[in-house]
This record gives sequence, C-alpha cells and structure tokens, in this order.
Amino acid sequence: MNETGKPGPKTKRRAIALAGLIVANVLCTSFFAMDVITDFESLGTDEAFHLTVEAGAAVVLVVGTSFMILELRRILQRNASMEIGIRAARGEMQAVIDKYFAEWRLSDAERDVALLLLKGLDNETIASIRGTATGTVRAQCAGIYAKAGVDGRSQLMSVFMEELLSEPLGALRDGAAAEAA
Amino acid sequence: MNAKLETRDAGEAGIRIIPVWDPLVRLIHWSLVTTIVLNGFITDPERKLHEYVGYAALALVILRLVWGLVGPRHARFSAFPPNPIAAMRHIRDTLSRRSSLHLSHNPLGALMVYNIWGTVLLLCATGIMMGTIRFFGVEWVQEVHEAAFTWLMISVGLHLLGVFAETWMSGVPLVRAMVDGRKRVPAGREAE
Repeated sequence: MNETGKPGPKTKRRAIALAGLIVANVLCTSFFAMDVITDFESLGTDEAFHLTVEAGAAVVLVVGTSFMILELRRILQRNASMEIGIRAARGEMQAVIDKYFAEWRLSDAERDVALLLLKGLDNETIASIRGTATGTVRAQCAGIYAKAGVDGRSQLMSVFMEELLSEPLGALRDGAAAEAA
Repeated sequence: MNAKLETRDAGEAGIRIIPVWDPLVRLIHWSLVTTIVLNGFITDPERKLHEYVGYAALALVILRLVWGLVGPRHARFSAFPPNPIAAMRHIRDTLSRRSSLHLSHNPLGALMVYNIWGTVLLLCATGIMMGTIRFFGVEWVQEVHEAAFTWLMISVGLHLLGVFAETWMSGVPLVRAMVDGRKRVPAGREAE
C-alpha cells in the first residue's frame, strides 16, 4: 500500500517529531524573551551587550522555528494530497467495477455477491453476510461467471487485475489531480 | 449503485475515519492544558516558575495563531471563522438534531476557541505587567488577572460541556480526535 503513495508511519512520525521540536523551540524562545524583559527591567541599558546577545538568540530561534513551521506545513500538505490521490484511485476502481457489472447486466443481488467475491470472501461467508443459504450463493456465482464469460473466481479477479495493470499509471494520477483541483 | 454503497460502508461498521487535527494542533492543545493546570492549581504565583509557565502559555497561543494563518486546512482560521450567527444556528440545529457535522471546530466551538485564546493572552499580559516595575502592586492589574482566571475556568467548564454534548449528539468522539487527530464520522453523515 505504501508504494501507492499512502503516507506511511514514517512520514507521520516525522510530522510528530517536527511538531514536538517546534513547540520546544517556541518554549525556548519564550524563556529568552522573558529573560530579556526581566533583565531590561532590573539592569536597564547597562548590560546592553548581554541583552543584545539574548535578544539575538531569541530572533535566531524565531527564524529557525519559522522554517520548521513551513517544513511541517509542506509535509502535511503532501500527505493530504496523497490521501486525495488514493481516494481518487479508489473511486476510479469503483467506476471500473460498476462499468463491468453494468455491462454484464448483473442483478442487484449478483452485484453484491460479485463484489464480495472480488474482496476474496468464500461462499459460506458471503452466505452468512447476506443471510442466504450457501446453495443460493453458489447459484448466484454460477450466474455471475456465466454473464461475465469467465470460468471461475480467479478469472473474474483477473478481469479487474488486467484493467489495473494495462491502464497507464498516468491516467490514475491525472484523475487524482483533476479531483484535487 | 448497490455495489457502490457496499464498498463505501465497508470499514468498521461504515465509520469513515478522517484525519483532521495535525500533530502541532494536538501538541499545542495538550501543552496549553498542562500550562493552565500548572499555573491555576500547582505553581506558587509569587514564584519564578509561575512566570516561566505563563510565558510558555503565551508562546503556545502565539504559535497557534501563526499556525492558524499558515497551517493546513482544518487548522486555519478560515475553517472556523468567528461567527455568532452561525453559532446560534448551530445550537438551534443541534437541539432539533439536524446539525451538520464540521470537520474543523463547529461554529459554537470556534467561539469558545477564540474566547480561550483571548483569555489566556489577557492572563499573560496582566501577568507580565505585574512583574514590571511600572505596574508592580497596581491593584486593577491584579484584579483583571484574577477575574481573567475565573473566566478561564468557567470557559474550560463550558468547553468540556460542549465537547461532551457534541460527542453525544453527533456520535463523533471528539476527545479521541484531539488525541490521535482523526475524526470517526458515523456512516451516512455528511461532513463539511
């Protein structure tokens, strides 16, 4: 699943670590700022050098933290666009399945059974999900195979696998981009 | 059509899991909770630690405000604009059980969010003033500081009430969403 671009646990951990660093940096900045203010109160401008160094450190921290904030935003945005891409691809696959089911003129019940078949369930499980007898499911399967012109479960699967593999990958990505836009 | 419905609802009993709160939003939320508990009930207001924690709270709110400008979609102010009219509508719709789901803060929650941030900023401002020579011992500053804390406690109470009411009414566990970042939206509910 990771090769398809779903944000994996690694990027998630990265985002969490970055967020933690940002919060830590911001807290450090606030302590510097507090020190500058209290020192200014008690020392006035006598310790200008000390104050300048501290204020400078605070500024550097703020700049560094700003970059981290932008980096975190970039990571999160990339993750979000990948999610959209996957959802688009999933929708695309659904459309392909719908197209074939309609082409084969499957009945509503047969569509349900065929979908469960594609998901890899066996006849007993399908029967228990649909609340029918196993014999009924077996008959429905036979109907589906006949209408689809295949001679079994694996051939039914391969119709859709074929569709996935023969399709240039660019088509899916374009679909994702269109949905994202 | 039938087939389509089947897959949509295929997850755990048709619950859609939608990532909403990014790690920074969650970290800031729970860090701010910690600073409020620390300074409200644990640290001695006369001590340096109280000041440190106060500055930490200030930094957290400022960071959240920056994130509200540049952060991802649900963290942005534009996702939860302060709108009292929408908030009233949300109350009315919730009572009549036809409120829509909001992936970011709902309009009423949004008002509470701004209220809490504002109150914490007021606490920080008056707290810092008390530490300065100019306002040291000035009574109204201290009174505002204490009144702001009382108001913050009332706000937190209302915030918790709102969170649990919304969780109960909408079926989306909100506390869990603020922990792991994902809202679990029950099947058949549209979210905006």
